[in-house]
Amino acid sequence: MSSHDVTIAGYLVVLALIVLLQVLATRTRAPIPSLGDMLTRAMRSRTGRVGVLVAWAWIGLHFFAR
Amino acid sequence: MSRAAPGPEDRHAGGPGTDGAGAGCAEAVVDTARPAGRVLAALAGLREPVVWILLAIAFFTAISGKPVDGVLMLLVAVGLAWDAGRRALRHSDIPGAARAAGAAGAAGAPASRAGGRRRVILASALLAGGAAYAGVVGSFSRYSWPVTACIIVLGTIVVLIGWHGPIRARPEGGRLPVAGALAWVAVLVAGCLWELGALLEQPSITTDSYAHPTISTLTDPVLAASPGRAVVLLGWLALGWYLVER
Repeated sequence: MSSHDVTIAGYLVVLALIVLLQVLATRTRAPIPSLGDMLTRAMRSRTGRVGVLVAWAWIGLHFFAR
Repeated sequence: MSRAAPGPEDRHAGGPGTDGAGAGCAEAVVDTARPAGRVLAALAGLREPVVWILLAIAFFTAISGKPVDGVLMLLVAVGLAWDAGRRALRHSDIPGAARAAGAAGAAGAPASRAGGRRRVILASALLAGGAAYAGVVGSFSRYSWPVTACIIVLGTIVVLIGWHGPIRARPEGGRLPVAGALAWVAVLVAGCLWELGALLEQPSITTDSYAHPTISTLTDPVLAASPGRAVVLLGWLALGWYLVER
């Protein structure tokens, strides 16, 4: 397994864990909040709200802007 | 669409520590009668984890060859820190007035009475506008000035909307289960560290590596063509709308 494969496997593991947590949160009674609940909680304060929206704007800047 | 009346930060102004978990609340009570108290209040923003995260993003973005992104992140971080400090000062100076204003705002909060037809028209207009934006901006070359301007303008509008508060009232919600929330934090931090590790394994911070690809490197083939850019931009817009609605 090359370094390339290991790196991509790492991303896939993280993605799988995100999906797993979301499924556990929404489809079972496990005491796990959904990602939406986490975002809502993070965005209850002004700094949290602005921080999350800036992170979103940064994604656009990072992938498209110079 | 009605703007919600007072956000949580306004509620804090009326009573420190009313936010259940208290996370993200920098409006600590400071004795501003003393000069030292005013200095502490002005620095209240530096107690915000978000400010430090934005400063870190600004630093890493700037050194990885994206100075525009870095400067914008720096501006927002400084603005947030200043705003939190300003609110901390106002908080301890006029708690009664702030409480009264908050109560008045809550009492006068317009209920959401938009009819179904109006919502459909609004949703259709947003959908059409989003599709047009994605199509036009996606047709521009990546990293060109036109696409940079379009992204900055939209990003600024959305951040300013968020700065003024949620666009509609949402139920307060209870406390999140600690273990479950920590599981999310652990996974998301692990993802960020994995990406950072790949970035640091590159020959240089501005040179891509096949052996240690970052997410940006992996998405390059998709974003190389105009249709791919338009689809990704649509997803980015949808995510932005979802977040603004939070």
